[in-house]
Amino acid sequence: MNKNWNIERRTFLRSAAGALVPLPFLNLMENSAKAASLDLAGDSSPPLRFVTLFKPNGVHPPSWNIAGGKETDFRMSPLMAPFAKHKNDLLILDNMGDFGFSSHSNSTRRFLSGHHQNKNSASVDQLIADKISGDTAHRSLELTTEGLFTNQIDCSYISYDKNGSPIPRESDPQLVFDRLFRNPMRDPNQREEISSLLDRVRDDAKSLQRKAGREDKETLEEYFTVIRETEQRLENMTPVSGPEGVDFSSLKRPESAGNLNEQVESMLDVMAMALWTDSTRCISYMLGNSNSRMIFDFLGIKKQHHYLSHFFRNFSRSNIDDLLKISLWHMEKFDYLLTKLKSYKDQNGSLLDHSVVLFGSGMGHSDNHTAQRIPMILAGKGGGMLKTGRYLRYSKNQEIGRLHLALLEKFGIDSPSYANSSAPLPGLDGGAFEEYQERPFDTWVKTGKGTITVQGRLRMSDNLDEAKVFYIDVADKPPVRIEVSFGDFHGFNLAYHVGTPITLTGKISERNGRLVLTKVTELKSVFGKSKPGKAKG
Amino acid sequence: MGSRDLLLFRKQMRSFLYGLVFTARLSASSLAFEHDVRPILERSCVKCHGGEKLKGEVDFTKILTKQDADAQFELWETVIEVIEANEMPPEDEPQLSDAEKKTILNWYQGRSQVVIEAKPAVFKPRRLSGPEYRNTLRSLFGFDLEVAVAEAEQTVISEKSLVLKLLPTDPPGASGFINDTHRARLSPVIWDQYLHLSNAALENLFSKNGRAQLGGFIGNQLSEDWQPVDLSRDQAERLIRAFVPRALRRPTPEEQLSKILAGIFGKHGEALLAATKFELKAILMSPAFFYRGLLMEGDPSKQQAVDNFELAERLSYFLWEDRPDEELTQLATDGSLGDRQVLNKQVTRMLSSPKARNLARSFGTQWLKIDSLDGLLAKDPIRHHALKTQPLDFLNYLFTENRPVLELIDSKITFVNEGTSGFYGKDRQRMKRHVKPNGIERQRTPNQKLKLVHAEGRGGLLTMPGILTMNQGPIQRGTWMLRQILGIQVSEPPANTPPIQGSPHGENLTFRERFEAHRSDPSCARCHEKIDPLGFALEGYDKNGQFLRSTDHSKKKPDKAIEPIDTSGKLPSGETFETFAELKTILLTRKREPIVRNIVERTLAYALCRKLERNDQPVVDTITKNLCENDGTWLGLFQQVANSLPFRETIIKTANTSHE
Repeated sequence: MNKNWNIERRTFLRSAAGALVPLPFLNLMENSAKAASLDLAGDSSPPLRFVTLFKPNGVHPPSWNIAGGKETDFRMSPLMAPFAKHKNDLLILDNMGDFGFSSHSNSTRRFLSGHHQNKNSASVDQLIADKISGDTAHRSLELTTEGLFTNQIDCSYISYDKNGSPIPRESDPQLVFDRLFRNPMRDPNQREEISSLLDRVRDDAKSLQRKAGREDKETLEEYFTVIRETEQRLENMTPVSGPEGVDFSSLKRPESAGNLNEQVESMLDVMAMALWTDSTRCISYMLGNSNSRMIFDFLGIKKQHHYLSHFFRNFSRSNIDDLLKISLWHMEKFDYLLTKLKSYKDQNGSLLDHSVVLFGSGMGHSDNHTAQRIPMILAGKGGGMLKTGRYLRYSKNQEIGRLHLALLEKFGIDSPSYANSSAPLPGLDGGAFEEYQERPFDTWVKTGKGTITVQGRLRMSDNLDEAKVFYIDVADKPPVRIEVSFGDFHGFNLAYHVGTPITLTGKISERNGRLVLTKVTELKSVFGKSKPGKAKG
Repeated sequence: MGSRDLLLFRKQMRSFLYGLVFTARLSASSLAFEHDVRPILERSCVKCHGGEKLKGEVDFTKILTKQDADAQFELWETVIEVIEANEMPPEDEPQLSDAEKKTILNWYQGRSQVVIEAKPAVFKPRRLSGPEYRNTLRSLFGFDLEVAVAEAEQTVISEKSLVLKLLPTDPPGASGFINDTHRARLSPVIWDQYLHLSNAALENLFSKNGRAQLGGFIGNQLSEDWQPVDLSRDQAERLIRAFVPRALRRPTPEEQLSKILAGIFGKHGEALLAATKFELKAILMSPAFFYRGLLMEGDPSKQQAVDNFELAERLSYFLWEDRPDEELTQLATDGSLGDRQVLNKQVTRMLSSPKARNLARSFGTQWLKIDSLDGLLAKDPIRHHALKTQPLDFLNYLFTENRPVLELIDSKITFVNEGTSGFYGKDRQRMKRHVKPNGIERQRTPNQKLKLVHAEGRGGLLTMPGILTMNQGPIQRGTWMLRQILGIQVSEPPANTPPIQGSPHGENLTFRERFEAHRSDPSCARCHEKIDPLGFALEGYDKNGQFLRSTDHSKKKPDKAIEPIDTSGKLPSGETFETFAELKTILLTRKREPIVRNIVERTLAYALCRKLERNDQPVVDTITKNLCENDGTWLGLFQQVANSLPFRETIIKTANTSHE
C-alpha cells in the first residue's frame, strides 16, 4: 500500500478533526482541497475490494428481466429503475444459471459457491479475500439481516470457509461498527479513557476491600487480577488510530435501527466506511435468508416475503403489488450501496471504481424456483478489470461457476476450475462472448372499428405502481398501452409472455386522450406457445 | 460435658427462634470415624477408591477426619447401600467381615442421629449470571440492548439479546443452576464484554432512543430538540444521584456520591458529557455492580441476619432473576422488609409480576432440563415452540397461581396450542380456534389454558409430549424421573457396559425382556432396579409422547392386531403397579415425601445460588414436612424459603484468618 497516500489522508483528517463529522462531507473537502496532491501520489493503485449483496427469494421475472436488448443498446427493466442511474457502472449479466429447478438451500450455496454440490471448498468471496486482504485488520466481513433458520440452516449462509463450512455472520450495524472502529484497546482516545477507568475501578474496589470479609477478598482478588491483565494487554497492544492512520473517532456510530430499512442502510454505511478506511477489503451481505420470511411492515405489508414471492401459487393483484414493492426496496438498497461507494473518493477515483460489487440471487423465478436467468449484476470497474455499462445476454445458459472462475482470474487467482466449471465466463472485460441471438420479427399495429391488432414485444409498464399495465413496442410508433381486466390478465396469462413477441387482438377505447387496449380477444405468441397451459407466469 | 450442654442450648435457642425446633436425639453410639471406620476403609476399599485408582470417583484417602466424613453425607448413603447389598467389595476381592460391616453400619446410624445444626452458609459474593446481568441492565436503564436482526418463527435460537450474545454461556454451578456462578470466574474476555455492553447501554441512553429513560433519571422530561451536549451541571448531578444507588441496589453514602460528583465539577458541554458518561461507566464496571453482595454490611466472624438490602436482592434475584424494584428498596430502606408478614406479602406481590415468569424460564427449565429440546427439535421450530412452551406455561401457572406443589405430578389443567392439541383428544374441541393471518406461512401460536376432562393418560408434567420427547426410551425416561423428580442421584453407566444383546436365535424378545437379561449383572441392577420400573411404565407413550392407547385395555374389546404393552413394574421399595396411572398414584402417596423433598431442595438451591450443604438439611426437613402435611403450595414454598435461615442469615468470615 502506498504510504504517501495514507499520510496525506491522515494529515488531512487530523486537520479537519471535527468529531463526528459525517464522512461524505469530509470527502467532498478532501476532493476539492487535496485532489491535486493525491494525484501526485498515484504511482501505485489503491487496493481492490470485493463486495457481494445477496437478494433473497429470487425475482419476479416479468418485472426483472430485460426485454430484448443488445450489449450496448438495451432498456433497463422496471425493477432496475432504482439503480438505472448507475448504468455506466454496471455489467448486467443474463442467462446465468443452467439448472432446471432449485431448492432455496441449493440456491443459497450456488450464489457464491457456483454449484450447490460444491460443498468442500471456500466460496468465491473467501478465495478473493485470501488474495486481496493484505494486512487489513479484518480479512473479511460476513453480514446479514435475518436470524438463523435452524430448520433450513443452509438458507442462512452464502459465505463458506475452505472446508465448505458456513461462516458465522453478523446482523447488527452497531456491533460491526464497534468491532471495526471502537476497539478500545487500539483507539488512542479510548486507550486513555480505559486507562483512567482501570485506575478508577481499582480504587473503588480497594475501598471495598478494606471492609471486606475473607470471601469478598477472594472475589476482589479475582477482579484485581483481571484489571491487571487488562492493563497488561493495553500496554502490549500498539495504539493504532485505525489502519494506516485514519482517525476512527471521526466516524459516526450508527443510531440503533428503528426498522429493517434503517438497519440495512446503517449496515451499508458501515460497509462503505470499512472499505474506505481499508479496515477490510471483502464483504458479503445478505439482505435476507434465501427463503426470507421477513415482514416489510414499514412498507405497509403484512405478509411474509417468502409467501409473496410465490406470486403464482399465491396469486392476487395485491400480492403482486406487495411483492414488487419489496423487490423495489431491494433494488433501492443496491442503489444505496453504489451511491455510497461513489461518494467516497479513493485516490483518483471513487471507491466504486476500485471495487467489484456482485449483486444477485441464487435462483431466477421466485415461484417455480428455476435456476436460470438468475439475477446477476456486477458493478464497479474493479480498477479497470471490468468493462461496465453493458448488458451481456449469453447465447446459452451459463454455469454460475464460470462467473466465479472469471472473477478469480480477474483478481489474479490461478485456478484451473471452480465448482463444476473449468472455463471462465468470457466478455466481462470487453472481450468476445457469444451473445444471445433473437429470431427477427416484424412489429406493426392495425386498428379497425373499435378493435386493434398489434404485433411486437410485450413488456410491463416501467412504473411498477401500475403493475397491471403492459405495453407492446412497435417500431417508429408510440407503444400500445394494454390495460385489461383481471380476467383477461389471468386468462391470457399476459405476464408469461412478457419479453417475447406476440400478436394481440382486442377492443380499444380512449382513456385520458390516448388509445388503450382494454379487452383481449386473441393472443398469439410469435415463436412460442400461445397458451402455456399450467406454465407459471 | 458442660460446654457441650451449652452448645446444645444455643443450638436449641437458635432453632427455636427460627421455628426449627429439634429434639436432641443424641446417639449412644460412641464409634468414631477416625478410630473405628477409617481403618476398615483403608484395609478394604482404598485399593480401588483411593490414590491413583478412583473408581466411581470415590476417594477415601481424602476423607481423614470426622469433619471430612461429615461433609460427605451423600457418599455414606451409597456406601451403606452397597455394603448392605453385598455389592462392595466386589466378589473377587476380600470381603468385609460381619463385624466390620456392623461397625460401619452402627457408626453411620449413630452419626445420622446426631442433631444437624441449622446454620447459614459462609457469605460469598458472586457474579451475576448472563440472564441476571441482562435483566439487571434492562431494568436499570429501562430498555433492552438488542441485536438488530430480523427474526421469524424459524429462528429457534434467538440472537436478539446483545448481552447473551456477547457473554459466554454460564456453566451450571455445583447446584446445577447457572445462577450458581461461583465456578464461573471473571475473565479478561468477560471484562471486555462488560465494557462493550456498558458503552452500548450508555450510548443508547444518550441517543434519541434513550431520551425518555434519561429524562426519567434526571427527573423531568427532556424536549424533542434536547441534545446531549445541552446536559447541564444540575441535570448531570441529578442523573448521577438517581443512577448510582439504583445500579448498586442500595443507597449510596453521600461521601461516595460527592466523590463521584467531583468528577464532573466545573465542566461544561462536551467535557461535562464525557465526564458524566465516565462516572456512570465506572459504576457499571465496578465489582459492586456485577457481583452480588460486595456492599453488604455485617460484622465479621459472626452468624447474623443479612442486611435488608441484601435480603431485597436475594428475594428479587430468586423470584425475578432481576434487581429489586422501588417497592422492595423502599421496604429495605425503612427496615420493614425483615418482618415475616411483610416478606410474605412481597413474595405474593412479586409472583403476580410478569417478571416472575423467569422462575419457570430459568429455575424450571434448568431443574427439569427442558433445554434438551433445543438441539433435538432445531429442525422443526414450530414443534419446538409448542413442546417447550407447554411445560413452561404449566410451571408458570403452578408457581404464580398458588397451586399445590404436587400438581407438578398431576393436574387437571394444562396448556395447549395448535402444536400440542393433537395429544388431547376431545378436550381440544373446547379450545378457541386460532386463525392464521393471510400471507403468514407458519406461525407459533400461544398456549391456551385447558381443563382436562376426556384426555387419556395426561395431567401433570411427566406425560407432557415435550418431556416424553426429550427423554427417549425407558432408560432415559426412567433416569430423568429418578434424578429430576425423585431427587435420587444415579451415576452415569460405567464405560465398559456391554451393549444390549439381540434376541437369541429363534426367540422374539421385547426390548424389556432383553434389557432384563442385560441388567441381571448385580452392579447394573443396583441402579436399574430404580430406573427401569419408572421408565417402562411410560412405554405406553411413543417417542413423540403420543399415548398409544389405554393400557387398561382389558375392559375394552381386545385388539388382537396390537401387542399388549407391558407397563407394569415393581419399585425397589416394594410397590407394584400395572399402568403409569397407577404409578402416578404411588408417586402422589407413598413417594410424596421424597418428591416434595426434592422440590424443596431444588428450590432452596436455586434461591441460595449454591449447592445445599449439611447444615441446610434441617431447613429442608422442616419445609418438606410443612408442605407434606398441609398439601402445601408453591407460594407457600417460596415464602418458607424466603423466610428460611440460610436465606435470611449468613456468616461472614474475617479476612485476617487467611494469610494475605
